[in-house]
Amino acid sequence: MNPGTFLVVDDSKLHHQMYQLIFSRGELAGSTLLHAYDGRAGYELFMAHPELTVVFLDLNMPVMNGLEFLHRRQAERLHPQVPVVLVTTESTAEDEARGLEAGAWGYLCKPFAPEQLLALVGRASSRLSQRIARP
Amino acid sequence: MTGPDHPFAALLAEYVAECLPLAEEVVEQSLTLERAWRDGQQADDLFRPLKGTLHTIKGNSAMMGLTGLQTLAHRLEDLWGVLADEPASRDAGAALFVRGTGLLADLVRATASGPPPEGAATDYLEEVGAFLVSDRGAREAAREERRSPDRRTADRRNPTASGEIGADGAVATIRVDSRRLDALLESFGEAMIAHAGLGEAMRQLNVRRRSTAEMAQLERAMLGLDRTLKRLEGALMETRLLPIATVFSRFTRLVRDVAHSEGKQVRLEVAGGETRLDKTVIDRVGEPLVHLITNAVIHGIERPDERLARGKAAEAVITLRAVQRSDRVILTVTDDGRGLDPEGILRKARAIGQAPAVETPSLAEIYALAFLPGLSTSEQVSHLSGRGVGLDVVANSIRALSGNLSVGSEPGRGTTFSLRLPLTVAVLRSLLVEVSCERYALPLADVAETVRVHPEALHQVARQGMMTWRGEVIPVMDGGLLLGGGAAQSRRYCVVLRSAARHRGLLVDSLLGHHEVVVKALDPSLGRPPAVAAATILGDGRVACILDTGRLADGWVEPVATAAS
Repeated sequence: MNPGTFLVVDDSKLHHQMYQLIFSRGELAGSTLLHAYDGRAGYELFMAHPELTVVFLDLNMPVMNGLEFLHRRQAERLHPQVPVVLVTTESTAEDEARGLEAGAWGYLCKPFAPEQLLALVGRASSRLSQRIARP
Repeated sequence: MTGPDHPFAALLAEYVAECLPLAEEVVEQSLTLERAWRDGQQADDLFRPLKGTLHTIKGNSAMMGLTGLQTLAHRLEDLWGVLADEPASRDAGAALFVRGTGLLADLVRATASGPPPEGAATDYLEEVGAFLVSDRGAREAAREERRSPDRRTADRRNPTASGEIGADGAVATIRVDSRRLDALLESFGEAMIAHAGLGEAMRQLNVRRRSTAEMAQLERAMLGLDRTLKRLEGALMETRLLPIATVFSRFTRLVRDVAHSEGKQVRLEVAGGETRLDKTVIDRVGEPLVHLITNAVIHGIERPDERLARGKAAEAVITLRAVQRSDRVILTVTDDGRGLDPEGILRKARAIGQAPAVETPSLAEIYALAFLPGLSTSEQVSHLSGRGVGLDVVANSIRALSGNLSVGSEPGRGTTFSLRLPLTVAVLRSLLVEVSCERYALPLADVAETVRVHPEALHQVARQGMMTWRGEVIPVMDGGLLLGGGAAQSRRYCVVLRSAARHRGLLVDSLLGHHEVVVKALDPSLGRPPAVAAATILGDGRVACILDTGRLADGWVEPVATAAS
């Protein structure tokens, strides 16, 4: 697993600090972290950065929530190669289905341990490198 | 709970910084909502965003491993769901919701000094559980609860951790069973007594043989021991200090409940919750405060219509405040109600033969009478205040903590009860005095001054000794008469005691100096001699009584024998 560029879209400052803590250690140390505090600002950053390794998208946010983000991206077919992980506090099977239907690559449920997040990043980036390797 | 091994333990301060304003916002909005609903408005624009905020607090608490807060926020969301779906449930549910948000804010606030103890919200959660089950929407909420992943995580992460990580990665705080602290304090007390014994033995030795090199060495060692014990005492006391907010947090709920059952509108305001007090004091001050606050709502505060008629806001305010003044903490309970009725108190006091000796007593003197047994001014008996819980009971429990209780009031404007409490109850800085060959300890905090007695300064007015002191005429009591040693013609010193309201002199034979004494509770089988608060063991192994200076200063203690002047 190599350092990459990650976008965190979450209205909680605390969560941004948690991501920072996780990405400051181990194999991913040296990664670039982009921060957005609502869905709309997140979407603008997303548009500008096709090179993103993974996007962490909170479900409940002001201005534009996670599902709205995903729907818009689906409609605009924007950067389909970038895995977007939907982050929620609660997830029922229906929630999960709705997120995946809207194009979420993965699901992360709070509270999550740093290892869970890292495992997800590992899976996402190997998937990405496979894609790139394929001619 | 966030332990040293928790990956985000270092972010606890950030957690509080983010969640406290959110939690306070939730409290504010739930109160506004409750009012709006009471006035028959829907207030949906206010109501909807609440869920999002609660959800954020829940998510953040979950990430920090604060499972208690997570569960509480989760239950509040459930409750929110029922209130949203069934407006009929709002009559009973709104108050429950408001209380829960208050508790949530208190717990988030308390997290600044460490994760709240497990079970801090148990009572409330049970209540919400009962409410939800008794409600139709509840079954759905219960189902939701079962499948919620939060609950599973909460169980899995059953916390055994007991520390906090500091910035450098080392364990910065450790959680310790409070019984261990008590045992430590007990041992320290023994060391203090042994130290005093050593000091006494040295004094004797010094009297017999003039100073030698060994003596000087012993004295130096003793001085070092003195300093070490002082530091040890300070450090030990420091470990026992807790913020008073841990007690205050229960009162929001109390005020709401009592006000609700009394048909009154009362808001509780709290200030100084960060003020710290000894754990023992914290544990024991809750009950008296409950009585004072309950009494304030039931007896002090008028009904809303009566308040409006007097040009006051329908909603009354009770303020609970804590401030530290040197080695005392002062807690005040202030209401903006009708105030005490001086004539009523005086009438009752006369009826039970307890009127003050003075012709025209001052207001302060009249109010002090309210603490006499059997002098509750309330005619009503309410199920909440029991038999209207006499102020004498409250005053007694405060005195048991070496504190004192006083009251001030302005008719029509409100009443303030002040509790002066020692920071700690284990070691007392006191003045040792001798009366008729017996030694007594007087808490130094209550001693205003010691003066040499000039016989010409003493007067007898209506069989009451009086003395001029700093241009003020104060009553004086003979220590011997008071404590059972018999009257004596010439006591050489007068200790001027102070309480909140007044000064009073105590005549003693000699002053033996300042000492730190270890407080030993009196065996309950002895009963409580009126002038005695507790006991201590002196350096020579003798037991000395610690006098109840607050009670003495307020003049509640009658001489043991009648004056034979």
